[in-house]
Amino acid sequence: MACVDDKGQLTASARKLLETIENNALTPEEIAKEAALPLFKVRSSMRDMKSMGFVTEEENGAYQMNPEASKLLKK
Amino acid sequence: MSEETMSQVNSLPRIGSKAPNFEATTTHGTLQLSDYEGSWVILFSHPADFTPVCTSEFISFQNIYPKLREMNTELLGLSVDSVSSHIAWVRNVKEKFGVEIEFPIIADLNKEVAEKYGMIMPEESSTETSRAVFIIDGQRTVRAIIYYPLSTGRNMDEILRVITALQATDEHNIATPADWKKGDKVIVPPANTAEMAEERVNDDSVECIDWYYCQKEI
Repeated sequence: MACVDDKGQLTASARKLLETIENNALTPEEIAKEAALPLFKVRSSMRDMKSMGFVTEEENGAYQMNPEASKLLKK
Repeated sequence: MSEETMSQVNSLPRIGSKAPNFEATTTHGTLQLSDYEGSWVILFSHPADFTPVCTSEFISFQNIYPKLREMNTELLGLSVDSVSSHIAWVRNVKEKFGVEIEFPIIADLNKEVAEKYGMIMPEESSTETSRAVFIIDGQRTVRAIIYYPLSTGRNMDEILRVITALQATDEHNIATPADWKKGDKVIVPPANTAEMAEERVNDDSVECIDWYYCQKEI
């Protein structure tokens, strides 16, 4: 998975994305704008993090951080 | 040619068709073509990592990448090499040429994407992808296809020119003449009725050589 390294720690870009949605659920377009990252990168990373259970996707396509994932941000 | 081969040939993307979606391992993680919806993407293949013509092309693609991004256009490279090879090559290009390749490169080891897009020319090489360029718009429609042989590096000015022309066509409903570049006059779509032809030649807002050949500034 591209969002965690071999030690199980978040990559810099994954950390940046999670920090962006730490307090608010945001759509990939909003995240891309906020984090100044290309939209394709946000879409693929959020899909990756959803498959790992770090985030959940709401009906409107917005991503919300799973409370468990906040522990990863503190590492 | 077997029926199966014929059917594969017939299903290759064409200008105006929907670009086939795929999921692929890249130097930026797993990407799907649909991740690019809303922006234009140039999907291009190269024969192999650590080869001179490809290295010169990647440096040139990187040089136009900032300009492409201003035009809402992303780059996505591809070859039949592993992701480790791509990473090693990109790091080598940075070390030896001082150029950081910022766009993702697909590691298409099983040739899944290459075969879907007809990037392999078996008469030239059955193991390497040729220098194919697919220009795909934000609705995932194939807008232009360019092929170069293994021996000839691509022309970045032409790639930029095609993108600029296609985006101008979409914005202004015009066509562009030979050798057109931004700032030149554009072609007004020809009149398709006698009445429209008559109106066109009397229209002061366009310059007509004749009713079928009218130009204007945009």
